[in-house]
Amino acid sequence: MKILLESLRPCLDGAIPAVVATASPDGTPNVAYASQVHYVDPEHVALSFQFFSKTRENVLAHPYAQVQVIEPKSFRHFRLKLHYLRTETSGPLFEYMKAQLAGIAARTGMAKVFALRGADVYRVLDIENVDPRLQPAPAPPDALLKLRGTLDHLGACDDLAGLADRALAALGRGFGIRHALLTMLDESGGTLYTLASLGYPASGVGAEVALGEGLIGVAAREAIPVRINHHTGDYTYHAALHVADPASPRIPLPVLANPHSQIAVPLMHGTRLVGVFYAESEQNAFFSHADEDALVVYGRHLAALIVQLAALPDDAEPALAVPAPQPSGAPLAVRYFAHDHSVFIDNDYLIKGVAGSILWTLLNEHAASGRRDFCNRELRRDPRLPLPDFGDNLETRLILLQRRLAERCPQIALAKTGRGRFRLELARPLRLNAAQPGS
Amino acid sequence: MPMPLILTPEQVAFLHGTLSMNIGAVGRDGWPCVCRAQGCVVARDRRALTVLLSASRGRAVLEALDAGSAITLVASRPATHATLQLKASHATRAGVSAAHRAASARCVAAFGAELEELGYAQGLKSTLAKVLPTDDLVALRLMPEIVFDQTPGPDAGRVLAHT
Repeated sequence: MKILLESLRPCLDGAIPAVVATASPDGTPNVAYASQVHYVDPEHVALSFQFFSKTRENVLAHPYAQVQVIEPKSFRHFRLKLHYLRTETSGPLFEYMKAQLAGIAARTGMAKVFALRGADVYRVLDIENVDPRLQPAPAPPDALLKLRGTLDHLGACDDLAGLADRALAALGRGFGIRHALLTMLDESGGTLYTLASLGYPASGVGAEVALGEGLIGVAAREAIPVRINHHTGDYTYHAALHVADPASPRIPLPVLANPHSQIAVPLMHGTRLVGVFYAESEQNAFFSHADEDALVVYGRHLAALIVQLAALPDDAEPALAVPAPQPSGAPLAVRYFAHDHSVFIDNDYLIKGVAGSILWTLLNEHAASGRRDFCNRELRRDPRLPLPDFGDNLETRLILLQRRLAERCPQIALAKTGRGRFRLELARPLRLNAAQPGS
Repeated sequence: MPMPLILTPEQVAFLHGTLSMNIGAVGRDGWPCVCRAQGCVVARDRRALTVLLSASRGRAVLEALDAGSAITLVASRPATHATLQLKASHATRAGVSAAHRAASARCVAAFGAELEELGYAQGLKSTLAKVLPTDDLVALRLMPEIVFDQTPGPDAGRVLAHT
């Protein structure tokens, strides 16, 4: 029976080093360790090219190789006959392997000498089971069943705020994930901001990740899932390294200091990146290849729901007016910096960017006219707000703003009064102050 | 006539230690092939060594060697990644002795125990005894002509000795 390459994916996670045999043009054999044999598709694998080695010299001259991989747990050996096709030095495959190699290098104590120069792509011509009499390793838990459990728990969502929270909670039920973040791509396309989190002491809502930085940023930039199965000391592959502008105020990402497994999955709606969800675990090899597949499907499902919910029309009728409680106590000093739209309350950083701009606009409108009820439609048309074309950005920014206020300044609240409608609620009087440039 | 290569006492100690071993050859069709080896015994003169492997698991490698292929042996210590690669222009079959079987069993057991210590999986020692039994061992005798340091890193491939 023909062995399918898919069935060997547990052997291709770098848990046990593979060996690769090549031949020089004069027929001299060479055997070397391959730190990474990466599953590309049902017909191809890629080997990490880290050094200018004899293996590389050989395949460039004589493009045939045999790789021996080992199934963890059963220790069954498989041999793959390979034909070298090309080397990729950038792009999604290269970036995925680079991230994964960081995990493998740390697992094998080789972090200082492992750096990816290229992904050598080979066609798999034949697969041989060297140990047919041995029992295969026990099958891992069914990822499709986990996905189904996750979707059952997610259920029907009728607003984005509920979806953001349930999307992560459902992962806990379905996949046993205890630590996760939901990040959304901002209007510039250069930064992701955290909208919801699961399982951390601080929520991290509003924390930013620059595109291309850390695991989340790489997954976003390349629009690929990235999974690291072992603890990596390579700080490049922590969930995120830098905010877009290191000089600006920041909210720290609340991620684990030493995750042993990490996965970042893009939320793709068609070809459009909506955001990334990130999950991590203190266990090694927590996420299987099949989990990655299932989570990619989940990411697409979430992206479709986000876009769909954001496109629902606002309620036509304004909310019923209710008597407003009078703000009391000492006034809160609200300071606004126009250059990055950052807002500080009593000198504590609250929010910046679009969300900061929205808050400043609402507070000024309220101060000028006494208005408390607002709707999304007017915000979308407001020339003072740097809003993009996509409607879901306004929705998600309002959720972000609501959550930051609830965490950092509950005296100011945005209460939902209908679809696309909300009310500004103030428990304390405000003293608004727009900072002058240079102040 | 080139000077024969004599392995250093340190290299001999290494080759008799806890190792993951693989041998490679090139078939008549030009395809490289590889097979796990399960132990080796260096001769007293430190010029020759006998490598042990399973006949059934190593069929392609054995066919290639029988047809005159050169041979390469790669031996690596899992705990340190220290690796040697030894090459010879040919290898010949030798009889398998009780001492060879004992050496193979010791090598496989030490390999499994070290992997367990490194946290690969529990029960690997007994699993490996099933994967690499000593019941169909073949012995190959070779005289290394070149020895490389193959420890992963930028220096991998450095020639340590040659004839």
